[in-house]
Amino acid sequence: MGFVSMIMGFCGFGVGISSGLVAGYFLFIYFQPSDVKNPTIRPLVEQDSKTLQQLLPEIPFWVKNPDYDRVDWLNKFLEVMWPYLDKAICKTAKNIATPIISEQIPKYKIESLEFEALTLGALPPTFQGMKVYLTEEKELIMEPALKWAGNPNVTVAVKAYGLKATVQVVDLQVFALPRITLKPLVPSFPCFANIFVSLMEKPHVDFGLKLGGADLMSIPGLYGFVQETIKDQVANMYLWPKTLEVQVLDPTKAMKKPVGILHAKVVRALKLKKKDLLGASDPYVKLKLTETKAPSKKTTVKHKNLNPEWNEEFSMVVKDPETQALELLVYDWEQVGKHEKMGMNVVPLKDLPPDESKTLTLPLLKNMDPNDVQNDKVRGQIEVELTYKPFKDEDLPKDFEETGEVQKAPEGTPPGGGALVVTVHEAQDVEGKHHTNPYVRIICKGEERKTKQVKKNRDPRWDEVFTFMMEEPPLKDKLHVEVLSTSTRIGLLHPKETLGYVDISLADVVSNKRINEKFHLIDSKNGRIQIELQWQTS
Amino acid sequence: MGLISGMVMGILFGIALMAGWKRMMHRRSDKRVSKAADVKQVSALNRDDLKKICGDNLPEWISFPVFEQVKWLNKHLNKLWPFLADAAEAVIRDSVEPTLEEYRPPGISSLKFSTLSLGTVAPKIEGIRVQSLKEGQITMDIDFRWGGDPDIVLAVEAARIASIPIQLKDLQVFTVIRAIFQLSDEIPCISAVVVALMAEPKPRIDYTLKAVGGSLTALPGVSDMIDDTVNSIITDTLQWPHRIVVPLGGTDVDTSDLELKPVGKATVTIVKANELKNMELLGKSDPYVSVHIRPLFKVKTKVVDNNLNPIWNETFDLIAECKETQSIIFEVFDEDIGEDKRLGVAKLPLVELESRRYKQMELKLLPSLDMLKIKDKKDRGSLSIEVTYHEFSKEEQLKALEEEKRMIEERHKLKDEGVLDSTMDAVDETASGVGAAVGAGAGHVGGGFAAVGNSLQKAGKFMGRTIAAHTGGGNKKSSGSTTPINSIQENGGAKPRPT
Repeated sequence: MGFVSMIMGFCGFGVGISSGLVAGYFLFIYFQPSDVKNPTIRPLVEQDSKTLQQLLPEIPFWVKNPDYDRVDWLNKFLEVMWPYLDKAICKTAKNIATPIISEQIPKYKIESLEFEALTLGALPPTFQGMKVYLTEEKELIMEPALKWAGNPNVTVAVKAYGLKATVQVVDLQVFALPRITLKPLVPSFPCFANIFVSLMEKPHVDFGLKLGGADLMSIPGLYGFVQETIKDQVANMYLWPKTLEVQVLDPTKAMKKPVGILHAKVVRALKLKKKDLLGASDPYVKLKLTETKAPSKKTTVKHKNLNPEWNEEFSMVVKDPETQALELLVYDWEQVGKHEKMGMNVVPLKDLPPDESKTLTLPLLKNMDPNDVQNDKVRGQIEVELTYKPFKDEDLPKDFEETGEVQKAPEGTPPGGGALVVTVHEAQDVEGKHHTNPYVRIICKGEERKTKQVKKNRDPRWDEVFTFMMEEPPLKDKLHVEVLSTSTRIGLLHPKETLGYVDISLADVVSNKRINEKFHLIDSKNGRIQIELQWQTS
Repeated sequence: MGLISGMVMGILFGIALMAGWKRMMHRRSDKRVSKAADVKQVSALNRDDLKKICGDNLPEWISFPVFEQVKWLNKHLNKLWPFLADAAEAVIRDSVEPTLEEYRPPGISSLKFSTLSLGTVAPKIEGIRVQSLKEGQITMDIDFRWGGDPDIVLAVEAARIASIPIQLKDLQVFTVIRAIFQLSDEIPCISAVVVALMAEPKPRIDYTLKAVGGSLTALPGVSDMIDDTVNSIITDTLQWPHRIVVPLGGTDVDTSDLELKPVGKATVTIVKANELKNMELLGKSDPYVSVHIRPLFKVKTKVVDNNLNPIWNETFDLIAECKETQSIIFEVFDEDIGEDKRLGVAKLPLVELESRRYKQMELKLLPSLDMLKIKDKKDRGSLSIEVTYHEFSKEEQLKALEEEKRMIEERHKLKDEGVLDSTMDAVDETASGVGAAVGAGAGHVGGGFAAVGNSLQKAGKFMGRTIAAHTGGGNKKSSGSTTPINSIQENGGAKPRPT
């Protein structure tokens, strides 16, 4: 009897609990409003100390840490922009999702699936501080502390078998500490080639997931499990050192790396027009590649000659054969005054077949305007021999600077030895007593090299690369780097001055393969010089 | 019995479970909402809030200037500068050269960059302020400072003389840049950006000009001409309320609301001046008044000889583009051989005027508009004026705009036909025509451009002051200048309209 009543009791409990749950659901949950309200925010000044206590963990980084900068202006910007952003993002999301949904629905026997509500809410993401790091590399690093505690409302209604269920995501909160690195920096807008994003900490994610009005995330245990899973998933993908890479520019294009060499031989000019009043002209040819900053090359001057023969060869570095062109300008040399232009022509490099010598005889023009009547006048001709040699893939310099990897030593390096590549980047606060026209002299094992001179500058930038060949790793050697200044005037007093020097032990370079550092100069008040050293072995 | 008690138990348990769930839901939801509120709150803290939170432990490194500091941005800018400078040089070359061409003064046949390097010193952003002054717009003010070492060499070709390279050195720019972002519902959410330099504080752009391999004195007046050209470009195109509107995004955006357009007309009658200061050694000053809203659109009264209490009774119409920020500037000059001396200035902000209300005022003359520079408290006399401000209706505005467009087209047509060497020359011709009738001063202009040397300097100087001014007027933008009466006033200066 007792046994039967127990069974009955269990059965009753079973029936009761299900009806109880249903009753409870309708009693407590079903009639709960499912719309999302904006939280009421009271001014801080009015709040009591208890609520303030609650606020303490949310105090932004810039209050606590002086290395974080306040970016409230950005917050304000976002706040004003947020309603517009909200609309735009939701519209785009809907537009993207709708075709995908309509494609997928038939597979799952669902009648329809649609957004009942899609809004990101009234609360914009906020930046709780911005921190930047400075390194010697060509990169910008910033760490914004991002907190988005929003009140979005994403409601998806699913209809299947005549039943309708709604899934609602509310109160999404994402706190993250991303590190954004822009590198490498390049000299064309937007001035960087890649964006790298990675998270420095596991992000905090919190949200409510309502199924038919009941928040699943408030079931004890489930919330913690879901949150951990999401965190781990995200961490697996983007937690530092894993990064998300977004390419903005093609770095090889943006860097304008050399891709080939143009060999140009100026053979002769024919029937040049006389420009000088007395005697024949004194012609010479100026060669220049467009879109480069390299100085133009000049032939020698052939005096009193209207059919000069030069047979002089030049080679120029080509960075973009598609757009660059070779300009040939014939000038009349003068002892005094301006050299007069006798004519010109332009050869676009894309007209030249690679690795093939081509002899061209070009008419000389006044300018490159095809409609200019002045170009009908005969000015003579110029004969050139042009060969464009693109670099083979293997001798194309890899962008070692950007990846931080050390490239292989050039061929011909003795076994066991290697090449020491020294890049003199820039110096700061170098100052001479009488003049500051700094250049750098580097001495390594008796070999001496010099950079160009920068005139009247306390913070010169050279960016010049030198290579020293070594028989063996220079474990005991030192590199002597000296900043010097010479007077621009042919002065009798103080013709030369040392602005500071530094000796760098090369053993560190050999063991580290690559060093990029700012060294403080000796014999200088506050001068620093940035030197990059690489040890390349075969 | 067991069944019923089991059921009752079950129902109670089920309901309790649901009630518990609901409680949990509420608790978690409340927690999230309060956290959201907290995060929102700390995104814009002010000093009082922080004081309340931190109590006495308020960190010393925190301050709340109106313009928020952006150290991080400056650090980035420093690092980025060599690359940014390279990229910007190309853009500047492409965009500024046409502008130079447009504003090229007569007497100079070509104005181009031969060297353009922005130097090694990065600009600094002293602070940023973000406001929302208007629905759907974000106003961002950037306090911009650049004491750079750019190397800019302008190849100046002066009328058939020679090409001289002029180097621009020691450039210093201190200004507040205002950027207004027009928001829209489409990605990228900003449909247009309006950029301008704030008029208050006045943009300070300093530089020294140096001729390479020679002295500037070899070509007199050129330095003044360049100064004037630069000045004209800045005050007439960049300085608030003048602005540059950059539409963003692929979609067509209607930016006409953002463009500057005439909003009203101020009819000013200069009645008389009282007790002006005497600047002449012999006799008394020969005063006249120059009035403008935009510096490029100046009108002048006639000169009253030898009088410290002159009566003019002349009426001018001035077009206003922005009632909030613009002012009418009155400058009283003493006409003199050589340079005219300024007897005093007065400023009347348009905000003080009510639409369609006749107003009689007495303005005190000051030595300078810059309050910092005023040393003496000496009385410089006063100016009696009568002002009526008339706000344009929609139709009037449209009419004014159309008139403006027509003018621009006409000028471009003339330029295309090759009649004019530069846009400036058009005015040169009219000015010299009228000028010949008006006075000797303008005569310089007519002859000056053909001649070289000394007269060029005078012409240059003269042109800088008045002709350039006419260009602005005739050039466009201020539509009122196109009515016949006004144009005569502009060109000649002194044709009073009976009131």
